[in-house]
Amino acid sequence: MANIVRAASRRDVLTISAATFVGGLMGAARAGAAPKSLTMMHESSFIPPYDAYFKNKLAPAYEKATGIKINYETTSVGSQQTRVTTAAETGNGPDMAQIAFNWAFLFDEKLVDVTDIAQEIGKKGGGWHQASAEACIVNGKWKAIPFGNIGQLMNYRMDWFSEVGFKDFPDTWDGLLEAGTKLKKAGHPFGFELGHGFGDNHGWLYPLLWSFGGREVEPDGKTVVIDSAETARAVDFCRTFFQQTMQEDTLGWTDVSNNKAYLSEQISCTNNAESILFIAKRDFPDIAKVTGQAQNPKGPTGERFHILNPWSHAIFTHTPDHKAAKDFMVWLMDPKQVGGWYEVAVSYYAPFLHMFDDAPLWHAEPRNLPYRDSLSTSHLPGWPAPISRPQSESVAKYVVVDMFAKACAGKSTKDVIADANAQLKQIFRTA
Amino acid sequence: MMSASAPTFAAAAPRPRRRSAFRQWTEREGVFGWLMVIPPLLFLLALVGYPFIYGIWLSLQDRPVARAGTFVGLANFVADWKDPVFWQVTQNTFVYTIAATLLKMVGGLGLALVMNQEFKFKNTIRALMLLPFIVPTVLSTIAWMWILDPAFSIINWLLRYFEIANPGPSWLGNPHLAMLSLIIVNTWRGLPFYAITLLAGLQTISPDLYEAATIDGASAWDRFRYVTLPLLRPVIFIVTMFSVIFTFADFQLVYVLTRGGPANATHLYATYAFDVAMGGGQLGMGASIALAMLPPLALIIFAMSIYMKPNKT
Repeated sequence: MANIVRAASRRDVLTISAATFVGGLMGAARAGAAPKSLTMMHESSFIPPYDAYFKNKLAPAYEKATGIKINYETTSVGSQQTRVTTAAETGNGPDMAQIAFNWAFLFDEKLVDVTDIAQEIGKKGGGWHQASAEACIVNGKWKAIPFGNIGQLMNYRMDWFSEVGFKDFPDTWDGLLEAGTKLKKAGHPFGFELGHGFGDNHGWLYPLLWSFGGREVEPDGKTVVIDSAETARAVDFCRTFFQQTMQEDTLGWTDVSNNKAYLSEQISCTNNAESILFIAKRDFPDIAKVTGQAQNPKGPTGERFHILNPWSHAIFTHTPDHKAAKDFMVWLMDPKQVGGWYEVAVSYYAPFLHMFDDAPLWHAEPRNLPYRDSLSTSHLPGWPAPISRPQSESVAKYVVVDMFAKACAGKSTKDVIADANAQLKQIFRTA
Repeated sequence: MMSASAPTFAAAAPRPRRRSAFRQWTEREGVFGWLMVIPPLLFLLALVGYPFIYGIWLSLQDRPVARAGTFVGLANFVADWKDPVFWQVTQNTFVYTIAATLLKMVGGLGLALVMNQEFKFKNTIRALMLLPFIVPTVLSTIAWMWILDPAFSIINWLLRYFEIANPGPSWLGNPHLAMLSLIIVNTWRGLPFYAITLLAGLQTISPDLYEAATIDGASAWDRFRYVTLPLLRPVIFIVTMFSVIFTFADFQLVYVLTRGGPANATHLYATYAFDVAMGGGQLGMGASIALAMLPPLALIIFAMSIYMKPNKT
């Protein structure tokens, strides 16, 4: 017995000594110098100078100032969520990532609480737009630092609208229907995505539903209310709008389709981000000259809405040095740095900080101003309910998009709403 | 000379080697066999077995992305059962697989029979035939996206040029045409695989059999029906089995062309599972949709093995 005790004690001594030595080394490493590098994972921008600005200006400037190298890792358009999922699930990979939509909620437990720096940055930048809080605050904590909103607004041919008697963009959906009917007859149909893309479909169909008074769920996030007279009116309108202003192709469109169609002068109006005007200025100057941008029309409720398409930056919990990552975020969001980044993208990312509300970037191209003005009426899919897992499922299953698309393809209003209602009840059963 | 070479002979004579016990043990048939099998077995376990078992485990959990899961038994499968889109996806997958496989089988057999003839530039043409299979799917599918594009479609341009239709059909906008388009693209891509494999099978058939059949008065059709087809059945079975598996679980083609639209008309199991798991952050439910592929696929393979496997008698 005494021998056993002695042997165990020796092992203990060795284990404790080894652990103390290794722990000491690790502690010294952690407590000592800052990390040599940090990695930011970002979806490739539709505005190429935006990525180049980070790589060539911001990252070298930060390295010069602090000695910390910032790696800027880009992912292809549409694949960022998969990459963020991989990093969050494996606890490996980049230290920081650009996130979108409701991802702050989806990845909540794997993201560092950045309330302290969000408040600091907000205070310095004149406060945050309310829309950014909708996307980044989870259970009272900021889980990402808001960056900018990629607004989805109306892009239209001013010359063709003018030819059919519309000098200004129609203020209501009914007005737009009237213009579209005339334009289709004149050989210039509209083209709004009704297929399974990831942005341009939600960009106009949720706002359409909301502006007619329709909702998926109540603000309690549980009670499904899609089966309403308001939804029925929105669906009826959408069908008429589709039949009188568009071609059948739009039912199968994905996000690139409307850009291609607009820039090849196949359509006179679509719902898209600023990228159409940006590319037109670069490659199709004649089209750029006659391209206008406008907020979404008002519905029968007298209100207009827009989809919130926010980009934010988050820090993963697996990042070894949270403070170093937070310091970088604070530096990045300083107006001296972030102002240049916004400007190079020509307001494609509408800043969420109020201090940029009247910044020169908006006056460089006044046609972009509607993107700034749309922030106050922008919401995430599922509004007015708070962000939730069932809401993500509803978006992933295209419940609202397909409700409208099926009606446009010929199904009755009653049937498409019944389908959506059944799906939503199934999805929200656990809410 | 002789005296000088004598010691050389003595040195070159084989020396009795003392084999170590370990080496003798490894050379035993039973042990050597296992040594050869274990590496691929470990490889399969790591890259197929583990993900598969993990997939089953995920499907039995309510497992939101980036959060811990809770065991829910078969609740995800019950939810799938009640999901109307799941049934539409099931129907789409069957239509897509059956139509594309049949087209590939008939077309591939025809192509193989043609390629089995003697003609000029035979080898070059055989090599070119493989192109659709060699080009990365995403690249060739993007080319198809332009071919089927409403504004830039070469097909629609031809239809307009010859005044057959104006505007042309909406290849990806109409639900039925979208599925037809996907089947055509899948057939185009998979045809060379069928053709080249069947061609290899055709070349193993002895010309003597055809000669004998001809002497017996068999027509070209008879030779095909009673010589070619029975001898080709084992190859047809294998190639069809592979094709069914690949087509049933297809992802890239749909994801690039339609992403499952319009209104889920082209969603397959794989694309729907991906949307739910990655887009919706519901890993458990996504896994249950992906696993739902397994029973019907196993049934199809089982049925095929009954109807298509060559008789051993």
